[in-house]
Amino acid sequence: MGAYFDDKDLAHFGDLKEHAPELWEMFEKYYGEAFQPGLLTKREKVLIGFAVSQSSQCPYCIDSYTQQALEQGLTMKHLGEAMHATASLKAGIALAHALPAHNIDKKVSM
Amino acid sequence: MSGPAALRVVPGGQAPNRFAARLAEGPGELRADVVNTLQVNVGKRCNQACRHCHVDASPTRTEVMPDDVVEACLDVLARDPDIETLDITGGAPEMHPRFRHLVTRARELGRRVLVRHNLTIQAEEGHGDLPQFFVEHGCEVVCSLPHYTAEATDRQRGRGVYEASIAGLRALNAVGYGRGEGLVLDLVANPVGAFLPPAQEDLERDTRDYLESRHGVVFDHLFTITNMPISRFAQWLDRAGLYDQYMDRIEQAYNPATVPALMCRTLVSISWDGRVFDCDFNQMLDMETGEGTAPLTVHGLDTKALANRLIQTAEHCFGCTAGAGSSCGGAIT
Repeated sequence: MGAYFDDKDLAHFGDLKEHAPELWEMFEKYYGEAFQPGLLTKREKVLIGFAVSQSSQCPYCIDSYTQQALEQGLTMKHLGEAMHATASLKAGIALAHALPAHNIDKKVSM
Repeated sequence: MSGPAALRVVPGGQAPNRFAARLAEGPGELRADVVNTLQVNVGKRCNQACRHCHVDASPTRTEVMPDDVVEACLDVLARDPDIETLDITGGAPEMHPRFRHLVTRARELGRRVLVRHNLTIQAEEGHGDLPQFFVEHGCEVVCSLPHYTAEATDRQRGRGVYEASIAGLRALNAVGYGRGEGLVLDLVANPVGAFLPPAQEDLERDTRDYLESRHGVVFDHLFTITNMPISRFAQWLDRAGLYDQYMDRIEQAYNPATVPALMCRTLVSISWDGRVFDCDFNQMLDMETGEGTAPLTVHGLDTKALANRLIQTAEHCFGCTAGAGSSCGGAIT
């Protein structure tokens, strides 16, 4: 193994099926159905996928969802807005997790 | 064999190839219907040199259709009433010295004339009156605009092209094009990279909203076209190390439902030097119409005899059958 993450791995994602085929098939069906257009369009769901990929720091998913976004007619201008929306929310989440510090200080300090 | 060179090694007839193999699985052979469109590529001269161009067109190209070939194309129209449409392409077809003659005569013959127009040619000396010329001759204008944003369009077609294209669209709107009043102004969008186009109706909606709100530009329809892995685009794919990946992408997206409506079934394509092809893409690959017979020319061409012919295919044909399909009139399914 040359590297933990390799872009060629993406094509072999389905190899994981061999370890638990029934569970894998359930996952595939769930994943496939969840990304079908419904009240949300395909493009909106692809953007959710892109944001989750970035937020979860998954290089495979970032690769896949960037290409899917381009095939939805989006450009890096659109993804630029999406990545900053994601990053700013992550920043807000990090700050929100600092609230206990504020609360504890209020509790224990004079 | 992989890489762009593989596409250029094509013997006559429907040679065995991956596309022919998929075609055999469904729906079978690819045969022409009655020819109803004469597509004429008047030459490779263009005021632009776009990175995706399957014609390899540029300002330095010298291939220009001679007068006798122009007249032979008009003779074909005069002889065959089944040919309803003359589709003029290039290069920038308006740069051809006999372009206006070709349009005028075809209209006098009662044919629908469709001009593939790059918009920026209007800014070149001697072409500023093109919108008025198109109006006077009732041409349908099909304009290239890869994407509604400036950065994407300029990346593919060159810096400043977007701004000049918007100016060209405004000039067409000013004389009545794209307003739903009979003067048809359509846009053609193609991906700015090695991926498939989006759903045509989605991109049409987004483009309409963007161009109207930002630029006050209106149009009739938007067609999505898949980039063809030949000529300049194939060379770019090769340099970027993306050729095999792109070929896999368009092959995996093969959709047999697109085959009955492929443009090659109802079109015949004439090259600047008068040779006959099943489509403009085959023309660029020198894959002439015919099954091992002597090459056809437009001089005295019997277009009725071309009905039911076998279409020449190779792997690039996956570009027209991928996903929703692709043709000069956009998505197929």
